[in-house]
Amino acid sequence: MTPPHPTPHFETPLLPTSLLHPAARLRDAASGELLGGADLAGRVAGTAAEFTALPPGVVFLRVGLDLSSVLRYLGAFEAGRAVALLDPAQDRDVLDDLVARFRPAAVFGVAVDDVAPGYAAAGSDGWVRDSAEGVVPHRDLAVLLPTSGSTGNPKFVRLSRRALLANASAIADVLGIGPDEVAPTSLPLHYSYGMSVLNSHLLRGATVLLEGSGVVARPFWDAVTEYGATSLAGVPYHYEMLRRMRFDPAKYPTLRTLTQAGGKLRVELVAEFNDRITAVGGRMFVMYGQTEAAPRMATVPAGRLVEKLGSAGPALPGGSFSVRTEDGSEVVEPGVTGEVVYRGPNVMMGYAESEAELAAGDVVGGVLATGDLGYLDEDGYLFITGRLKRIGKVFGNRVSLDDLEELVKHLGAAAAVPAGDKVVVWLDQASRDGCRAAAKVLAEALHLHVTGFDVRPVDGFPLLPSGKIDYRSLEAQV
Amino acid sequence: MSLNDRLRDVFVDALQLDGDVDVENLKYRDIDAWDSVGHMALVAAIEDEFDVQFETEQVIDMSSFKVAGDMLRGLGVGE
Repeated sequence: MTPPHPTPHFETPLLPTSLLHPAARLRDAASGELLGGADLAGRVAGTAAEFTALPPGVVFLRVGLDLSSVLRYLGAFEAGRAVALLDPAQDRDVLDDLVARFRPAAVFGVAVDDVAPGYAAAGSDGWVRDSAEGVVPHRDLAVLLPTSGSTGNPKFVRLSRRALLANASAIADVLGIGPDEVAPTSLPLHYSYGMSVLNSHLLRGATVLLEGSGVVARPFWDAVTEYGATSLAGVPYHYEMLRRMRFDPAKYPTLRTLTQAGGKLRVELVAEFNDRITAVGGRMFVMYGQTEAAPRMATVPAGRLVEKLGSAGPALPGGSFSVRTEDGSEVVEPGVTGEVVYRGPNVMMGYAESEAELAAGDVVGGVLATGDLGYLDEDGYLFITGRLKRIGKVFGNRVSLDDLEELVKHLGAAAAVPAGDKVVVWLDQASRDGCRAAAKVLAEALHLHVTGFDVRPVDGFPLLPSGKIDYRSLEAQV
Repeated sequence: MSLNDRLRDVFVDALQLDGDVDVENLKYRDIDAWDSVGHMALVAAIEDEFDVQFETEQVIDMSSFKVAGDMLRGLGVGE
């Protein structure tokens, strides 16, 4: 990606240097323990000290929604130690591949009875690399997050300390987060949206309620009630679930803010949830982001949601959008559709596919070509209309439709099309068992729930006059 | 088919379970397939199969195969 303009310099005055506001608190729903002030700072300093003693390299954290995971994450941040946040349920072979490619200084949140080669067990759930030789990550690098949806070798998005702090601060500003807020963990921390909920609340002295059972389980809602959660963050499938559950905010008198990101929610549902929450005096925010932007780029102010239904919102404070047209020129005029380009202090430093790239500095200059197609309106509000490449979203995770077809080609010719929060994969001349087998292959390869892949048999594909598959016609059949 | 047999089929189909899973003793989050995403697919499939509608409280309390069966009995579904 080549920036079309000289590298911009983003002024981010008064940015804090720590994620941890003195008033920030963590509540562990399982034990009821509330950790704040000097106690929290002391525990974070304790984990920071452990990280300082490790050999050079990135630290892999398999992060659950629990106190020990969050203390480690914060400790690493305070210690200036680059950490990769990983799914604790990730398969061992995927972890082994990442360990081999990135040679982390240590891995935490793993079983110690089966340690990877070149590592020694440390404590009850860690591995530390035997070799003291390793690449020192760039000093700006704070967090690495896996990019969703790549079916081959997963790569990391490199996020700087400044990008994370700038984004957490901008999010807290537009959502009005203050010390009275209590945010429950409805999303995993290795997912950029979940991480940003944690960051933006701790930065402003709010409370984060650690609860790991998810919005469809009783313990989550019991914790919301008992500990007075004030907000709920969800991706489109959460809102689909909440609708099916007939979620009624009147039952949760403290919960008055809904936020939505992670893909476009149907406008009917945006309007419906906005009605439900405003009826009880609350607010709903629709937001837009990508992991590559740490992750937030835009938020629709709650007061303009109805008027701007379907919009992703204006750029966050400190950021800006433009649209790159087919001839390569960038415009900000309203109504022109093209690739959405974002500039801001929260844009990633770049990607990393191996250990050597951890030492690299910023290679993108604060400019992110999003790969999304869209236009700006006369008020600078962004409207997303599609993707440049053939991309689908499965429960909020980006997947390449071409990759899906490739993964199941041994089972038959396939054509994948997006279908809301799932993808439909048409499999030529397939049996029922063949379809189920294909769904399983995709779920396992992408580590996403099998119900996100709706594999259907088809008797030949509709074709365009050019002989290519007519994807529009297939989309219409979804 | 008995209620339990029908419910077992719904579980196997909605969660795409393998033949070796002990469906009748299954609890929420015992297996990867029954996570929050699987739960909503399951609830939808049970509602369709038995022509019932669950309330919020029932959706979040449906923590096992057995509980799901008891809920259906409570809604008047015959054995």
